[in-house]
Amino acid sequence: MEEVDKILIHSLRLSGTDIPEEVQSIREFTTELIIESVVRCLRVISPSVGAGLSHILPPGMSARFRIGMSLAQACQDLGYQGEVGYQTFLYSSEPEIRRLLLFLVEKLPRDASEDADQPVGKSATLHKAIAAAVKEQLAIPWVPPSCRTPRLQLLQGSCLLKRFQAQPLVLHRESDPFLGKVPQERKEFFVKFLPPVSAQLPQPTSLVPSLFELNMAELSAAQDWENEWKSQGLGSRMTPEEYRQWKHQRLQRRLLDQLRQGASRSGPAHSGTTSRDLIQLLGTFGMGREHAGALAKGSRFTHSQHLAYKQEEEPPMQVQVLPISRSSEQELREHQAAELEALETELGHLVGQITEIEGQMSTLGLTLTQVEGEVRQHQLGVIERQQTLRVKGQTVELLPDAENNMAKLQVVVESSAQRVIQLAAQWEKHRVPLIQEFRDLKALHDSKELESSRRLSEIRELHERIRSAADEAKRKDDVYKQLLVEMESLPKDVSRSAYTQRILEIVSNIRKQKEEITKILSDTKELQKEINGLTGKLDRTFAVTDELIFKDAKRDEAVRKAYKYLAALHENCSQLIQTIEDTGTILREIRDLEEQIESETSKKTLSNYERILGDYQAVKQENAILLSRSQET
Amino acid sequence: MNLLGKLPPQETLQFVHKVIDGICGRAYPRYQDYNTIWNLSEWMEVLEQTTAYFKSAVGSNVSDEEAVQQLNELSSDCQKALDTCLKGRKQDIRRVLIEKTNAMCSAQLLDFDWQLKLALSSDKLSMLQMPLLNLDLDMRENDDIKLCSIEMNKEELQNLINALEAANKVCAHFKSKLKWPKDFS
Repeated sequence: MEEVDKILIHSLRLSGTDIPEEVQSIREFTTELIIESVVRCLRVISPSVGAGLSHILPPGMSARFRIGMSLAQACQDLGYQGEVGYQTFLYSSEPEIRRLLLFLVEKLPRDASEDADQPVGKSATLHKAIAAAVKEQLAIPWVPPSCRTPRLQLLQGSCLLKRFQAQPLVLHRESDPFLGKVPQERKEFFVKFLPPVSAQLPQPTSLVPSLFELNMAELSAAQDWENEWKSQGLGSRMTPEEYRQWKHQRLQRRLLDQLRQGASRSGPAHSGTTSRDLIQLLGTFGMGREHAGALAKGSRFTHSQHLAYKQEEEPPMQVQVLPISRSSEQELREHQAAELEALETELGHLVGQITEIEGQMSTLGLTLTQVEGEVRQHQLGVIERQQTLRVKGQTVELLPDAENNMAKLQVVVESSAQRVIQLAAQWEKHRVPLIQEFRDLKALHDSKELESSRRLSEIRELHERIRSAADEAKRKDDVYKQLLVEMESLPKDVSRSAYTQRILEIVSNIRKQKEEITKILSDTKELQKEINGLTGKLDRTFAVTDELIFKDAKRDEAVRKAYKYLAALHENCSQLIQTIEDTGTILREIRDLEEQIESETSKKTLSNYERILGDYQAVKQENAILLSRSQET
Repeated sequence: MNLLGKLPPQETLQFVHKVIDGICGRAYPRYQDYNTIWNLSEWMEVLEQTTAYFKSAVGSNVSDEEAVQQLNELSSDCQKALDTCLKGRKQDIRRVLIEKTNAMCSAQLLDFDWQLKLALSSDKLSMLQMPLLNLDLDMRENDDIKLCSIEMNKEELQNLINALEAANKVCAHFKSKLKWPKDFS
């Protein structure tokens, strides 16, 4: 019972009952302690029921009685099967209380800490973590800046107020995923001139954001590329470089087309300068395309770069002019200003003229191209007519000697027909193997095509599998980590092993006891058997002796006497045996009764009666007081 | 441009790299370090012209030979230095130019940052566990940087995300138009 009591007391302490250290078993529980532990358990099991009960025993007897009643009701509501009433709590007996407490402890929800680890949801844990962090930070007093430790500086300093600003960084790297190998010059720059990353930024605070940003940018670029390559690039059956080049050219062509369309739509006469710039730009754009292959990435911005270039070209010229104008004298300035104005008007005039002339030029150019086209057409017509003329001239020459010429022509025709046939035969001879070869090659190509598409699909499948496997691995890793965390957070239950050991011990004890019991049982059986055998033997011996002596008894007086003695002996012996058996049963009964007495005394009936009597007196007194009070009022 | 020749040959590389650093948004070389070599107007000229040279050489995407040809008035040492720098820093200059041309709009997003906050209570409720998202947008508008800070609750954030996703969808649509035509292969 000690074990059970220890476990019970431990659980009750966990549920919040304040059990003194010296209390070691349920027997030592006072009424107050019992009430408190039951109320605390009830509060944990169902807060709504427990909230209405006080865990402190009130001094008034009637109030105590009421508490006992409500506790008993609550226990029955929870499903307690045993007998329970106010007397269970107020006039406790050890086994009853133990049974009730065991029931309540079993009903207790699992450990509070365990409860927190159960699936209460991520948000709840997050809230809890936030609350813990805030509480911790609130508990730290404010410290002047000069006295702060690094950790305090982090919490209370102004470093968290700094903004998250990223700036471009240059990193030392051996090869670039998009541009291929790094040229020698760049490597030299990296080695000799590139400052370390931390020195590349104007403010040191933006170092971490910049690094994050750089990493993110590279990561997303790589991901994007991978996606595209898997979805589109693989199907094109090109190497990655070829694919990039192809895409780049395609893009440029599209841009060029778009720009051309835009330029032609606005028309040359409509806004002369801009469209001219654009056409110029298109020229450079087309030129740039030839050596754009070296720059596989970022080419979509090429057009805008040209724009930038145009903007940047102007400043140096202004700078060259500046010093001269600065050196001129005061009086010259007005003169120059006038001159400048005149020149500007002239310039404007000239520009106007130029645009006008340009407009004319473009219209003239258009007519020129039209006229050129017409001329070409006419020339073609002329050549055609010349040919027909030549044929007709030859026929006319041949006309006088018609017969002869006809025959000659016939011969020529026949010979050429022959030759055609011959050539056809020859051609056929060449053609057959060639066709055969062509077919073979075509079949080969088809099979290769098939093979390659099969491989392609395999590759795609493989990619898919790789991705899914990676996902799976990641998921499992996450689960593993989570489980690891959970395992760490689980209470390190040292008592568990002790408990199991104890249980095993108890089990072995029980087994030993069982063995002993069976041994005793078999002993008893053997004894019984022996007794039975002896009784039988006795009966038989008695019967035989009885018969023998009875035969002789008719003749001999002495034998008759002996027979009488024998009968008396037999009777006495059986009486003796009867008495011994009776003694045994009586002993057993005595033992039973002793046990009963013991159990009755353990119920503390007498003291309980005394207490009940006292309590009854108290209630009477209270009633009397109340009555008198009501009469007073 | 030939003013560059005044520089001692061993310092040329360093100077040019510094100029490129300046183009890339870091510190330009300081006049104090070079005032024994050039006077102020020369200094301005050298700086302007070197910058312009690199921008034009990278921007117009000329070949290496052409880029060297533009420098034929310089000494061979100088030419070599400029050429090495150009080859080595082409990527960086290119990136800066691209960013500049990308920023053609009047307002442009430079950077963004966000913080997730949990409002524990308010002036009316003692227990209000409401998550709030604070989104900071650094915008450049006509050459001055403006900070735009938005605080959103869950629904507003969802609205914003929906809008951005719709925009992304449109972008992806255009992108896919530029990819493989359907009738290829």
